[in-house]
Formats: sequence, structure tokens, C-alpha cells
Amino acid sequence: MVSLHRTLRNLQRVGLREWWRQMQYIGDAKSGRFVGKDQFGNRYYENLNAAEEVPGRHRWVDYAQHEFNATQVPPEWHSWIQHIRKDPPSSDSVMQASSPPWKAPWIENLTGTRGAFKTYNTTTPKINAWEPKTRARQ
Amino acid sequence: MSFGRHHLLGLAPKLRQASVSPSIIHRSISSSCCSHAEHKPTEHKPTEPEKPNYHHNEPLYSDMKLLHDRKGPQLPLYTDRSKDLERYKKGPGALDKAVHVFFLTEIFRGMWIVVENFFRPPYTIMYPFEKGPLSPRFRGEHALRRYPNGEERCIACKLCEAICPAQAITIESEARMDGSRRTTRYDIDMTKCIYCGFCQEACPVDAIVETQNQEFSTETREELLYNKEKLLANGDRAEAEIAANLHADHVYR
Repeated sequence: MVSLHRTLRNLQRVGLREWWRQMQYIGDAKSGRFVGKDQFGNRYYENLNAAEEVPGRHRWVDYAQHEFNATQVPPEWHSWIQHIRKDPPSSDSVMQASSPPWKAPWIENLTGTRGAFKTYNTTTPKINAWEPKTRARQ
Repeated sequence: MSFGRHHLLGLAPKLRQASVSPSIIHRSISSSCCSHAEHKPTEHKPTEPEKPNYHHNEPLYSDMKLLHDRKGPQLPLYTDRSKDLERYKKGPGALDKAVHVFFLTEIFRGMWIVVENFFRPPYTIMYPFEKGPLSPRFRGEHALRRYPNGEERCIACKLCEAICPAQAITIESEARMDGSRRTTRYDIDMTKCIYCGFCQEACPVDAIVETQNQEFSTETREELLYNKEKLLANGDRAEAEIAANLHADHVYR
């Protein structure tokens, strides 16, 4: 997309199959170091060479699903890919130490589907309709 | 006349830096020659000890203090006009300026930058695959946290409700079965929230936090009326990221 030289170089590095997948999803041929894979199968890459990748484009994710969505990235990897944390969660000791045992599984943004959040009242109602109690007629 | 000055035209240094492959102009922060800040002069004298050559080498004064304090021998700043002309003596002369005005050199320099950027790779970040940098203090979607043993943190002190400038938080509380006070209702109207972060500043137990999740856009308004269960679920799912960010930030608080 951006230059023939870059496209051919990355095609040579990642291979024809991976290059075709990248052109279908990212729309650009990219090559870099494989950093890790999350529980959903999304793969994360990094290329810190400033001559090959513009700074800001040096970390990217290859989504596992065809219907990809930015919220399919779990929060641990989200903080890596948004450059909040330097190290990926597989080698980040602080991130691993702060994962509690009661951590809930990550769910992507389900808006527009039947799983979308629908708010409800968490308290008992304070005003109730009058339910007349009549004494049974003798 | 300095019509062909290289540093003014901005052309020669860039071409000199493209030493890796002359056909491609590489762009990176390290190789950019654009500098709007004043730097030290490049001619170094290694024999002399390095002296800090700052632009502002005069000590800092408060002008108002100096104006009111007239007894001292020191005049207020900006009253000493004797050095005002000196800073212009090294600059271009009137003829130089006239040449740049009449030959429209600034327009051509600006157009050259356009031409340069036309041949450079774009800055575009391909969003869902690549994301821009975010701060660990970023204020996104709200979450209610728990203690490491799984007990919810919020004690229903209602400080966040009191400080909320948009009045987006609604809290009701009751005593629980074991006697501790907890919220029965913790509603945040995310359509009213202005993401100022006052609630997490006000919270004495770090219960309400704003996570770094910014991708919670919804199709309808009703999905943005969060209740306590939704906020606790947000916290349960993102606790590792929240705790790591608070750990990274705690030394500055």
C-alpha cells in the first residue's frame, strides 16, 4: 500500500499466505517479532525498527475472528497494545501479580446483539401499588 | 544575499540524511532535522569544560515582587532596554528580508514540505489493529473494584456522588446482613458523565475507578445507564489492568 519496496520486503519475510491474510484484514503488509497470543487466539506482533515501521504503528494485533472488533483484545493485552505498559502480559511481573483468582473472563462489547447490557433496578421499589386486602365476608 | 541558504530552504539536510537508500526518504523522530526549539550551537570545543548554555540564563524573578520591592538596587525585568538591539544584530539584514519577501521564498518552502510529505509513507494508524498510545491515567469506562479477597470495596460514603459535577452518580445504601454498610444502588448515567475523574479522586477506598477501556460505545442510550452489577462486572474483568496501572501511578500520588 505505502510502497512497493516495503510490501515486497514484508511479503518475503512473512510468506505468501500470511501476507494475503494481512492484506485482507490490516490492508498493509507488516512484518515483525511475534510477541504472544491471548486466550482468544489473537496474535500480537511488534517491530521496533523505526526505519521499517512508523513510530505509533509498531505494535499490532492479528484478530482471530473474521468479525474483528477492537474490544476482542482482553485488558491485559489492551494495555500492551495501547502502549500503557512496556512489556507484554506474558513477561510483565506486575500484571501477573495483580491478577486476582476471582478475575472474570473478558467479554467483548456486545452492543447490537441480544447480549447487550440492559439496565435494571438493583433495589427494592419504594413505592408499591396499593393492594387492597379485604376481610372475607362473614 | 542568502537566497540559497541551505538551512532556510530545508532541502539539503534531509537529502543528506537519506543515506540508507537514496530513493526513499526515511522518516523517524531521530532522523528529523526539523527543530523549533533552540539548541546548543553545534561547534563544540572539547578542550573547554562543558558549560550549560541555556537560553534563559538570567535567574527567575517575580515581576510583581520586583515592582513592589523598589528599595533594592535591582531594577525589575524588562526595564533594562540596553540589550534589546543586540539580539537582532546577528540576524538577517533588510536586504535579506526583502529578497525573501519579493521572491515568495516562504511559499516555496511551504510547498516543498507538501511535496516531501507526498512521497512519504502516511502516518495513518490502522485503528483496530494498531492503536495509539494511552496514559495509565486515562479516564475511560468506570468500574467498581474489589479487595483481593473478593470483598467489594465500596462503603457507600457517597463522596463520589457529592463531587460529581454532572450529577451522574446515584447511590443508595443499606446495612448488609453482617452489619456492614454497602450500596444497594450504584448507578452511573454514562450519558451524563463528563469523565473528569473526580469520583476516583474522591474515593477513599479506591473503589470507583475509570479504566483504560474506551471502546464501550453502544447502539442505544439505555445500554449506557450502568448499574452496580455492570460496574462490578467491569471491575472483575479488568482488575489486572486496573491494579497494574494504579501500581505504575502510585509513586506520583
